[in-house]
Amino acid sequence: MGLEQYKGDMEMCCRCSTCKFIPMQRVTGHAYANVCPSISRYNFHSYSAGGRMNIGAAMLKQGMNYTDRLLDIVYNCQMCGACGVSCNYAMDMEVMEPIQEFRIKCVEDGKTHPALDKVIAGLRKHDSMVPPSGKRGDWASGLNLKDATKEKVDVLFHVGCLTSYDKNLQKLAKATAKILQKAGVNFGIAGDAESCCGGRAYQMGYKEDFLRQANKNMALIQQAGVKTVVTASADGYHAFKVLYDKFNLKGSLEVLHISEYIAKLIQDGKLKPRNKVGLSVTYHDPCGLGRLGEPWIHWNGKKIPGDRFVFDPPKVYRRGTQGVYQPPRDVLHSLPGVKLTEMTRIKEYAWCCGAGGGVSDSNPAFAQWTARERIEEAESTGAEAIVTACPWCEKSFSEAIRATGSNLKVYDLVELVEQAIS
Amino acid sequence: MALSKDVYAAFEDVVGTEYICDDPVIMPSYHATEFAAVILPKNTAEVQSIVRLCNKHKLPFRPVCTGWTGKFAKGFLYLDLRRMNRIIEINEKNMYAVVEPYVISAQLQAETMKRGLHLNLKGAGSNCSAMLRGHGHLDQTTSGDDRNHLAIEWVTPAGDIIRSGSLGSSDEWFCGDGPGPSLRSILTSAVPPGVTPGVFTKAALKLYHWPGPEKFPIEGVSPNYSLSEIPPNFLARYFSFPSVEKMFEAEIKIGESEIAFELMGFNVAMVAANITTSNEEEERTFKRLSQEVQGPGFFIILAGNSAADFEYKKRVLHHIVSAAGGKSLAPLEDPRTEGILLCQCIRISASIRETFRPGGAFSSIPVMGQRDLTIRWAIGAGKAKEPLIAKGLIVDDGGAFFGWGVEQGHLGKTEIFCKFDPQNPTAKEAVEAWHNDQSARAFRERYFALLSGQNEEVGRGLSNYHLWWNKIQKALDPNRVAPEAGALV
Repeated sequence: MGLEQYKGDMEMCCRCSTCKFIPMQRVTGHAYANVCPSISRYNFHSYSAGGRMNIGAAMLKQGMNYTDRLLDIVYNCQMCGACGVSCNYAMDMEVMEPIQEFRIKCVEDGKTHPALDKVIAGLRKHDSMVPPSGKRGDWASGLNLKDATKEKVDVLFHVGCLTSYDKNLQKLAKATAKILQKAGVNFGIAGDAESCCGGRAYQMGYKEDFLRQANKNMALIQQAGVKTVVTASADGYHAFKVLYDKFNLKGSLEVLHISEYIAKLIQDGKLKPRNKVGLSVTYHDPCGLGRLGEPWIHWNGKKIPGDRFVFDPPKVYRRGTQGVYQPPRDVLHSLPGVKLTEMTRIKEYAWCCGAGGGVSDSNPAFAQWTARERIEEAESTGAEAIVTACPWCEKSFSEAIRATGSNLKVYDLVELVEQAIS
Repeated sequence: MALSKDVYAAFEDVVGTEYICDDPVIMPSYHATEFAAVILPKNTAEVQSIVRLCNKHKLPFRPVCTGWTGKFAKGFLYLDLRRMNRIIEINEKNMYAVVEPYVISAQLQAETMKRGLHLNLKGAGSNCSAMLRGHGHLDQTTSGDDRNHLAIEWVTPAGDIIRSGSLGSSDEWFCGDGPGPSLRSILTSAVPPGVTPGVFTKAALKLYHWPGPEKFPIEGVSPNYSLSEIPPNFLARYFSFPSVEKMFEAEIKIGESEIAFELMGFNVAMVAANITTSNEEEERTFKRLSQEVQGPGFFIILAGNSAADFEYKKRVLHHIVSAAGGKSLAPLEDPRTEGILLCQCIRISASIRETFRPGGAFSSIPVMGQRDLTIRWAIGAGKAKEPLIAKGLIVDDGGAFFGWGVEQGHLGKTEIFCKFDPQNPTAKEAVEAWHNDQSARAFRERYFALLSGQNEEVGRGLSNYHLWWNKIQKALDPNRVAPEAGALV
């Protein structure tokens, strides 16, 4: 079915432009009212979700008309889902799904972006979305962690490509391992056998590559007999929790993001943050953990003929309501000496870090433009640091801070937790 | 339709390569019309240069802000005013704000609320330009239409910059009528493009006292927002009445007593739309609420300037409603629902849930005039909806209409619409027929209604205004580069 199944949704777009802004009640002034990086940067309506929907509907009727401008529109989108949240405050229609399907259609038709092709070639060759430096499990050297492919564990810690290979971010994997050890969790890693989750490939439009990765991961998990996967990356969480379920691959696997797991460990008294961290922070909700982390809702039905856009059985939309918003905040509140000040755009209407949807590869300048906007917003809170829960966000923000000379510090949640329990 | 390379380059010189595009692939996002190009000016100077080029090349243009679905002619240059989004000034002392076209009402309202002020939000929604002319929920206390426009900066169709009102003789924005040229009779535009040809590039908007908090205490995650508490001295209620006459009696008395911050002649279908988060829930809620009302009604917000003022207003409201046999709709007294409606009606200006959500489109007939008379017309228009509802061509709202008085008075706006699926040709045709019939009836019965394409007929009935307007347009727009009218939001 692909794009065709969302014909009705795309035709529902009334071009009201709410997809460009955070939900109206949440607008607290002139600043930080925008929510979509793409329309904010490129301005032509075509770059908004509404524009994309109208183009999609038109091309379903008239046939695909690939031009450089069209591909520019398609690939300059972080697929962050903020547009869908704002639209779905009032409207009953799918937004992100048709945008995703449009991108998949482009890839299927061979209308790809060369930078993304290169990334996917790397994925096919190395099982990674980032160029490998050494072996995937090298970061764990000397930590004496269990190999989940060989030993029985309760929890598989899925590290993710960026954290595994990026020398600047391997500290996140080490911090996570230390936290889990401190809490006495029987966990393991897959080490060199770990594969890319495939989530970013899917967002880039390479559905088949995503499915290959998903099947590979689920085969490993089933072989290892693992019931729970904990991811350190929001992208990984989105893939395992939402996308694998969407394609009926997840089964009964429990998927937790490390922030959820830490919150639970603290609540259960298994983790006691005692050391004073002493930092004023603001928290950035990663898209994959927040609005896109909302569980998949399986539905199959037909539109009821008539006056309304309603279905049999009724369709329940994923409006970003059930994303993971509170656990990371609960963790921050539990850390001694950490003062949390919220930004204007948070939770379901958070501004993206810029790295999503392959944009950090296809248009690094746009990714950085997006990240700088977030850094400026974080600075406006007066916080000393921006805390996130995804290595892609941390990388994006770090680069923006370096480029702008900002004094803001960047941390992943696990880094602060590690300080508090050491 | 495409611009020649030379002409394109001339426009490109004005805005830069990045801000003009004529690739046909982007046109479906711009109202599915083959525009000559889309151009994004960033300031008045660029707008003026663009308009002058349009005159030079006899190229018609159309300026648009956020841009609801609309109808456009082919071959126009589309001025997307998105980059003109600055709040130039908020003058607290003199109670006005100067804005560019792409500042949306939600942004300006949020800024003014921090300063104890607010503004008229149009029924189109707070997602639309704050500069729009029009009416909305807050008309009772903030008036409506061009009454809220003070001085205006206007690029005429010939490319001249006209500064109206006080701006015409000084750098002050405080007045639309002088010292300096008023031009109010010409600048009656919806902004932009409205009926005034050319582009409004800045306007001063009247601000009003805001008795509420700097911001609403919203909690929850979209779409389930509610208020953690009802702000002090605020009350929202829906009252139904035994008859239209009784409802109007209460409406008039409330206006005379000037107690209402907002009085919105909602029907229960619109109440249901606003308090629900999906089509299915809305349908169920409408059916349930319909059983609980005794007849037509209105939604009212009281906002006290002090506890004593609030108590006084509540007592007056109780007295008026009781005397008219009004009955409060109990489910709306629940603080959560009350909070949702406060937000919907003050911050959102309702709109999308009650118009586009059900089927994707709506067709509306707004009629201005004395409320008790226009309500009579609307009852007829509502009855005319019933066969369409029975056939399942439009959403069942009980044939209802809505409306409200402006400036606490007996004059106001009454409106009725059909919500339908525009992809259903039978429904579309039936709704168009309903619209034409009822608009024509409004005109025949001497109500002020917009009759698209019938200017001559209307003009003859109104002192041949269309002949005068044509002359004015010819003088303003000698090259006919801004021929289109119509309120796009």
